[in-house]
Amino acid sequence: MTALPVDPATSAAHQATLQAIAEPGGWWSGADRLAIVRATRTAPTCALCARRDKPTATANDGEHDNDGELPPIAVEAVHAIRNDSGRLTRRWFDDVIDMGLLPEAYVELVAVTASSVIVDTFAQGMGLDMPELPEPVGGAPTLERSDDVEDAGAWLPLAREGRANILRSLGLVPSALKLFFGTFRRSYFMAPDSRFALGRAQVELVASRVSAVNGCFY
Amino acid sequence: MALRESVQASEGSDCKPDLGVVTGRADGDAGVRHGEYLVTLADAVARWRWDEVATLRERGVDSMGSKATRDAILVASGFNGITRVADAIGIRLDSRTASNSVDLRATVGIDAFAPTEKWVS
Repeated sequence: MTALPVDPATSAAHQATLQAIAEPGGWWSGADRLAIVRATRTAPTCALCARRDKPTATANDGEHDNDGELPPIAVEAVHAIRNDSGRLTRRWFDDVIDMGLLPEAYVELVAVTASSVIVDTFAQGMGLDMPELPEPVGGAPTLERSDDVEDAGAWLPLAREGRANILRSLGLVPSALKLFFGTFRRSYFMAPDSRFALGRAQVELVASRVSAVNGCFY
Repeated sequence: MALRESVQASEGSDCKPDLGVVTGRADGDAGVRHGEYLVTLADAVARWRWDEVATLRERGVDSMGSKATRDAILVASGFNGITRVADAIGIRLDSRTASNSVDLRATVGIDAFAPTEKWVS
């Protein structure tokens, strides 16, 4: 089976995503953020995830397959988001926070996990290997937290501004929002230079089907 | 979720896509050109079934061309990520998105994806 050629703009955007992940973020170092990507990549073969019938953060049902680079609760979050996002609940989220993950660190972890899902899904879908990860860039996290947020009924405060809740969702940590939508924008009608060889209805059909497969309410 | 609006804009106002195709409750192309193929490809990409995707890729190149096939995979990949953000942050439906998806939600029962425990601790 032959791989399809990737257009230069998408290739550059996805490489930029990986390079941005390798740099220190708001709440994780570059090495930590790359470890989140590696945890996302190992999640599909995790034995604990395979025998669970739903996500649970009580941490008394075993240990996720991991290489020890991240705290266990971070691995829990990455694996649950990667493997079973449609069944995440408020109780699961509260457990993750109660077990020591800061809300801001969680927001950034979500952004890194979901960005790597996009990059790796696309590469594999095109018949390519998952991209090699860059070397981590040194430096400390910036401890960035936006005050320009509000309670909108979600598990976390959302950015005050934005046309739709999904666009506000990562607003607690602006660099996380920038990372994720910098990755996503080439996959939808968000980039000024978006040019699809598909019609709008075809794009929406694919998007809708993926949302349904993932059990996404939104 | 603007599928019906998109189809009507691009295919004419009399076109009523079968939204049941989106959740697999109905077969067919949903009134969209290459729709049946696109749903099958989206399904395989979202479930990370790479052997199936490889076969579908070749079929897509033959029927739609390589750029359209690539773009379908790109869109599917993006939504494989953004659905995870929506579910992991526990966002609620906003009025803008709700008004764009009234038909879809009613037809395919998307609200079933949001059980009470989604937001109640």
